This record gives sequence, structure tokens and C-alpha cells, in this order.
Amino acid sequence: MLLEIDSLDVRYGRNHALQNLSLQIDHGEIVTVLGANGAGKSSLLKAILGMVKPAAGQIRFDGADVDRWTVPKRVRNGLALVPEGRQILTSLTVHENLLMGAYPRRDVRAADIDAIYQRFSNLAARRDMSASVLSGGEQQMLAIGRALLSKPVLMMLDEPSLGLSPLLVQELFSLLQQLNTDGLSLLLVEQNTNMALKVASRGYILELGRVVLQGPAVALAADEQLQSAYLGE
Amino acid sequence: MLLLQQIVNGLMLGGVYVMVAVAFTLTIGMLNFLNFTIPALFMLAAMFFWATLGGGFGSGFTNLLNHWVPQSMHWVVAAGLALLVAILASLLIERFTYRYMKTRFGDATEHAIPLVSSLGFLIMFEHLVIMTWGTDPLSVNSPFGTATIKVGGLLFGVPQLLSLVFSIAIVWVLHIMLMHTKTGRALRSIAENPDTALMLGVDVQRIVPLVYVVTGGLCAIAGILFAINYRTVGPYIGDQVATVAIAGMVLGGLGNIWGAIVGGLIVGLLEVLSTYWFGADIVKVPVWGLLLLVLIVRPSGLFGHATIGKGKF
Ligand SMILES: Nc1ncnc2c1ncn2[C@@H]1O[C@H](COP(=O)(O)OP(=O)(O)O)[C@@H](O)[C@H]1O
Ligand SMILES: [Mg+2]
Repeated sequence: MLLEIDSLDVRYGRNHALQNLSLQIDHGEIVTVLGANGAGKSSLLKAILGMVKPAAGQIRFDGADVDRWTVPKRVRNGLALVPEGRQILTSLTVHENLLMGAYPRRDVRAADIDAIYQRFSNLAARRDMSASVLSGGEQQMLAIGRALLSKPVLMMLDEPSLGLSPLLVQELFSLLQQLNTDGLSLLLVEQNTNMALKVASRGYILELGRVVLQGPAVALAADEQLQSAYLGE
Repeated sequence: MLLLQQIVNGLMLGGVYVMVAVAFTLTIGMLNFLNFTIPALFMLAAMFFWATLGGGFGSGFTNLLNHWVPQSMHWVVAAGLALLVAILASLLIERFTYRYMKTRFGDATEHAIPLVSSLGFLIMFEHLVIMTWGTDPLSVNSPFGTATIKVGGLLFGVPQLLSLVFSIAIVWVLHIMLMHTKTGRALRSIAENPDTALMLGVDVQRIVPLVYVVTGGLCAIAGILFAINYRTVGPYIGDQVATVAIAGMVLGGLGNIWGAIVGGLIVGLLEVLSTYWFGADIVKVPVWGLLLLVLIVRPSGLFGHATIGKGKF
């Protein structure tokens, strides 16, 4: 197993964001986590990265107990997050944002950054401009490029399709599939259920901080009751 | 010519304000924290500089100094001690204001408590100095004396000129570091959004003390330059300089380094010119009057951004 989460609890004061959550991701897998707003999806990703401290539970990554690891250590060891809302640093240039992605690593070469520019030619054209001039789609590319530069083993994405046009959503998901084919494991949080279940091999459905359903993506996609009950379609 | 001379004097006075204003602006820009201990750091450095040269540490220390260090190098020891004490004091403040709040409440920036405790540190440091050396103004044994050079009828005090050049150079180096080094980028990321910086793997907890080291260093250099320029120090010099520096910082725009430089020079000029025109008693009125006017007309200052505490470098 690449990632093993066992009975994870996350609380904000009295607010119980995650309860007794267990989840596994195998090497090379795409796993999706679905659920309505407030279900606890973002809290899960933040807990995996170490941005929030769990009240209970265990997280193992690549065979190591990461519970006491700082965020920088987790990033150095192959965890990366493409956060909700992209969180581009708008006071920095596009290029500086990419350099920040490579920040925790010493082994990032100019060629690695060139590879990102080759993949995303829009970013190359705006290399030295302030990142605030980018469109929503370009910002998402920058957030993904930035995460890739930390050379992750598992990349987590928090609602990456939010606010993108249907065409860009198509492009995004084929990019994710391609990255996965190249060997990257993905944990994909989405509200775009259909697309997510198409690319993922397995899925988890969260409701109010608990896993209410889990299984192969095809089975979840075929489950009509699930579609109406939890995914609002 | 007399007016031009006053302008020269004002700009040279501004050099000291620039450094203190930049120290204020750095902590506000990076950490969203108005650090009230800055005047104390400035004053501590000036006092330690005086004490090393003027026997403030007792005859035992003076004998040691005379024995081990040639007379011409005493000021280097004095400056070194001044830097050391200001940086250590600054780190102490980081530990007990910023970091304490951060670990206890997860966020140091949304509480007034660091502000109040930094005010507490200011008063404590001042009174420790008063207990040790009293409140009387003390005369500094400056190694640079009162040398002047005359260029085209204008008189430039050598220490003043040096401190202006020195302070602009230091701030310029600081700016280059912020803009073009890896640590500088990390600091700018923290200034814009500490959570994003952390998410990208920046060790925010480890890098924040660096801001305090730089703050302490800037204040120390400003304090040393003040001691050399005015050759009189006392426990309250920090308050006087820092209030004017704060005015300069706000004029230039909170959290903007270049704003702090321009603002610091402007208040220096304003102080000297209003003394020249209206006399010494009135000097606070134009400085603070201009500040209030700017706050009304352009609250973000000359170079500031509309939002305070987000991405200004
Ligand atoms: N920083 C926070 N402080 C307090 N409560 C929070 C915080 N972040 C999230 N929550 C709460 O935790 C629950 C889960 O939120 P979140 O993980 O953002 O869900 P999702 O990403 O699925 O929308 C919600 O009830 C939300 O209000
Ligand atoms: Mg969310």
C-alpha cells in the first residue's frame, strides 16, 4: 500500500470534520473521494499533508508512520497537494511560483522546470509575468505544475475542475490520466462525480465526516441510489 | 544655500529613520504584526555601544578591553556587542510573543496579544536600562568625532553621510535578497499566505525567526548610527526615533520596503525643515499632521497596496 489511513479523526473545536475514517491507496492507483460541501474532503487532504493535526488515527505513507512528520518532511517524501481554489501566490511571478513548488527539494534541475513549460505552453508564454494575470485554467495548470515540481509519489487534488469550462475539464482529466500512466498515484477529491468516477479505479463517498460507501469506481457509477442520495444528481 | 544645507541635513537624519521604518515594515509585511519592541532594540544597541566605549560595563570590562583590543578597534567590539544584544533580544521576543501565540492558538496574527506583550517588552527593556544606567543622557565617545567635508559650500558631516549611504545600501541588499534568493521567495510567500507557503513545504516555524534576526540587526545598526551621529544616548531615544519612523512607514505605505525608505527620508526632511522654519518646539506637528492627512487622503500610503498584511514585496 502506498497510503494507509486508519480510523482518522479530525476536529475543529466541537466540530467533528472526520470520524473514524479509513482509506487505502495502492501504488499507481487513482482513488477519488466524493461528497457534498462540508463532508470533510478538504480536511482529509489537509490531514494527510499534515496541515491539520488529527485528534486520533494513523496515517502511513510508503511504509512509514508519518503522524509526527512536519509538512515539509511529508512534501520532501513525496506527498503534494493541489489545493482547493489553487492558492496561486499572486505577488510572485509564474516562474517564481514554479520555483516555490521545487522549494523543499535539492534535486530539481532546470530541465525539470523546462518539462513543465513544455507541458503547459501558456505558462511558458507568461513566465515572468505576475501570476495574478493568469486565467482560471492557467492557474490550475500552474498549481499542478507547481505540485509536480516537488516530484511527488502521491498527488492530491482538491476539486481541480471547479470553475473550469467543460472543455478545460476534459483536458484536465486527460492530463490526470496521463500523469497516472507515467506512474503518479492520485487522490482526487471532486464534486464532478461522473468525470471522477471515470478516471478513478476506486471511490469513497463521504457524508458528514464518515465513509458511507466505498468500492470500485464502475460499481459506484452504476449505483443509481447512490447517485440520487449522496451525489445530488 | 542655507535651505539646501537643511535639506542635506534632513536626508542624513532620514537615514536612521529609514532603517527603523524598514524594520517595522518587515514584521508587518511578513507577519502582520506591529512589533512595539523595535524602539527597545534600537535603544539597547545604542546603549551597549555607548557602554562598551564609555565604561558602562564597569572598570573590569574596560581593563579587559584595553588589554586585549587596540584603542582604534574598540568601536568594532562595541558595534559587535550592540548587534548581538539586539538580535538576541529580538529572538527572545519572537519566542514569547509570536511563536507562543502561534503554538497556543494556531495563529499569531489575529490577536492583539502579541502587540500588547511586545509593548510590555519595550517598557521592561527600557526600565532594565534605567535601573542599570539611569535616565540622564550619556555622552558617546564616538571614534568618528565630528569630521565634516565641504562640497560646493555644503557641509556634510562624515558620520551622517556614512550612515545615509550605509542604511540605503543595507536596505538595498535586503531587497535583492528578498527578490532573488530562495529564502527571499519563501519569505515573500509567507508574507502573502503562510498556509500556502507551508503547503509547499516551507518550514514556516523555522524561517520566521530569521525575520526577527533581520529586525534586530536593522535596529542595532540604526542605534549604532544614531549613537555615532548624535553622540548622546539615553533610555528613551528609541521612543522618539520609532514614533517618527512609524510615521515614515505609514507615509510610504505599510509593509512596503521602498515606501519605508522614501517615507523615512521624507519625515527626516520634514523634521529638519520645520525646525529650520518654525523652531524645535513645533516639530511633531508637521510630521504627524502630514501623517494624518495621508491617512485620510490615501490610507494605503504613497506606495502601499490596498490590503494590509498581504503580499507587499
Ligand atoms: N478551519 C476550520 N475551522 C473550523 N471548522 C472547519 C474548518 N475547516 C473546515 N471546517 C468544518 O469542517 C467540516 C468539513 O469541512 P471541509 O473539510 O472543508 O469539507 P469539504 O472540503 O468536503 O467541503 C465543515 O463542517 C467545515 O465547516
Ligand atoms: Mg473542500
